[in-house]
Amino acid sequence: MRVLVVEDNEELAHLLAQGLKAEGYEADLLTTVAEARAAVTTTRYAALVLDLGLPDGDGLSILREIRQRKDPIPVLVLTARGGVHDRVSGLRSGADDYLVKPFALEELVARLEALLRRPGQLLGRSLQVANLAFDTESRQAFIDEKPQVLSARETAVLELLMRRKDRVVSKKLVEDHIFGLSGEVASNAIEVYVHRLRKQLSERGAKVQIHTIRGVGYLIAEEKNQ
Amino acid sequence: MISFKSIFSRIIFLHVIVVVITAIFMPLGLYWFLKSAANDLQHQAMREQADLVANYLVLRPNGQWELDLPPALQDLYSQAYGRYAYAVLDNSGKVLFSSLKDDSPVFSADALASGVAFMQTRKGKAALSGVSLPKESAGRTVWVQVGEDLAHRDVIIDDIVADFFKRVGWITLPILLFLLAIDIVIFRRALRPLVNASEMAQKINPKRTDVRLSPEKIPSEILPLVQAVNQALDRLEAGFRVQREFTADAAHELRTPLTILRSRIDTLADRGTSKALHRDIEGMARIVSQLLDIAELETLSIDPAEKADVRAICAEVAEFAAPLALAQGKSIALSGTDEPVWLNGNSEMLTRAIRNLVENAINYSPPGATVEIVVEEGGKVDVLDQGPGIKDDERELIFQRFWRRDRRRSGSAGLGLSIVQRIADAHAAIVSVENRPTGGAKFSLSFARAT
Repeated sequence: MRVLVVEDNEELAHLLAQGLKAEGYEADLLTTVAEARAAVTTTRYAALVLDLGLPDGDGLSILREIRQRKDPIPVLVLTARGGVHDRVSGLRSGADDYLVKPFALEELVARLEALLRRPGQLLGRSLQVANLAFDTESRQAFIDEKPQVLSARETAVLELLMRRKDRVVSKKLVEDHIFGLSGEVASNAIEVYVHRLRKQLSERGAKVQIHTIRGVGYLIAEEKNQ
Repeated sequence: MISFKSIFSRIIFLHVIVVVITAIFMPLGLYWFLKSAANDLQHQAMREQADLVANYLVLRPNGQWELDLPPALQDLYSQAYGRYAYAVLDNSGKVLFSSLKDDSPVFSADALASGVAFMQTRKGKAALSGVSLPKESAGRTVWVQVGEDLAHRDVIIDDIVADFFKRVGWITLPILLFLLAIDIVIFRRALRPLVNASEMAQKINPKRTDVRLSPEKIPSEILPLVQAVNQALDRLEAGFRVQREFTADAAHELRTPLTILRSRIDTLADRGTSKALHRDIEGMARIVSQLLDIAELETLSIDPAEKADVRAICAEVAEFAAPLALAQGKSIALSGTDEPVWLNGNSEMLTRAIRNLVENAINYSPPGATVEIVVEEGGKVDVLDQGPGIKDDERELIFQRFWRRDRRRSGSAGLGLSIVQRIADAHAAIVSVENRPTGGAKFSLSFARAT
């Protein structure tokens, strides 16, 4: 799978390319807005990793052009500025996700993978956390590759959490996702589903942990052996 | 002298003074002009009358003076009419002819002057005003006196003068007031460009340094001021731009090498070493972020119109900090109100303040602890940790730049709380800290709620 990396610092660009290669991606490296503009119009890439501070302009300008053409290519923005304002303007311009420097290479790969697993993107539909896998096409969970039977709502909660592994999924988002606009949600309904899901996963030997961030939401992560 | 803040009230005040003075002196002046004009007219008329009477005065060869007035003139001077009187006096002051019943002179005999003279006298109710002029014939001189009773009902011209105030003089006041009102309108219109320029100037703040005062319609007297202000703004904007560019460049220049370092460490075979190095980089990255925050805070000013939902900000900070806490075996929780809590403020800066408090709380709490964020409806945010708490003598010190309790601890430059303090000051909020009875510290940010 070919990914375009636009980053003006050549050393960093090479390190990123190396890291991506180790994970099975091919990376093309470009350093300027002009080159990147030419490349995205002539070649179809699986994803674009875009640094915002480029020598001949702002990376956001390419991003806006791509979105104006209705090109659905997933774009992961790298930025040295982590302010809310900078992030919001990046996302508004059409970025799918952003990473603030300095980031870990594995974080970059994980985010990229999450983008590529979105519907319509190139990577297989299987989400993975430790020995727990989730196929987004058949909506089937696997523990150690053995299919598991979960209720429809437990499945929906699990999918949401796994799409954003290691990141908080707000309770509000889970509520909206599970119940939609269909009506009143019992105040502890989500907690009940998460509790049941947690119990079932641990009983069936999944090495994952669903953390409750009280007042905020939930987060799924690999189980830590303390 | 009263001092006025506004040019407008100064002009109006001076204008009112001028109106009052004019309202007093203009009628007086007019009255005086009118009166002297009336006098001149009367004097001229009397002089002509005297000349006329003198024409009918003839010196007989026998040396006797004879006055033969035509009937029309006799009627005019008749006592029945009573308005005019004449008398003719000789050199010695003896009355030769007189229209008055006792043959008395119109004006006293000692008033005989060498030439034409205007005179005034009172005779009973009558106020006589007239002229005396000499007439010469064959070396002998007589004086002709003609007078008019100004108190007589047929004398209109004097009535006009007397009635001037009542009938005409008052009109000056409304005219002046009308002029004053018109001038107020004119001044307002003339000052409008200045008012507009002030309104433009009010919009200028560090975020809107592009605003300039429009020189259009500005009076030429004020134009140099407007241009000077605009030039000062140009320099100010350049200063702010340099500062902003510096922060952006510095962020890029500092964070990119850190990313490179981090990526290189990922390629190390020794996982133990790379884990330790990662921690070092986290610490450096945090210090870099804080230094950049401080640089950015130098140009911070809060747009009064800006509003932020502090409850949403706390939720965002908790979401952001949760993976960090979990990675250290700690947790985080958000409680308090579920409703939005709107404040006047910059959400970016508020996020940074609360994030610094939360990151501190996570770092100082032991593994297994939960950091609690409590948002109160009244606009107060508490961040509770389970750390060692704050000693009384450190309470003030902790908000100073680069202060650290434990200098041996790396990955912290003691900047976090000074950033919190700066941001709180910019929002007119109060930062306070107290120790919890159950152990640990409670940091509070108290804001005023948006109106």
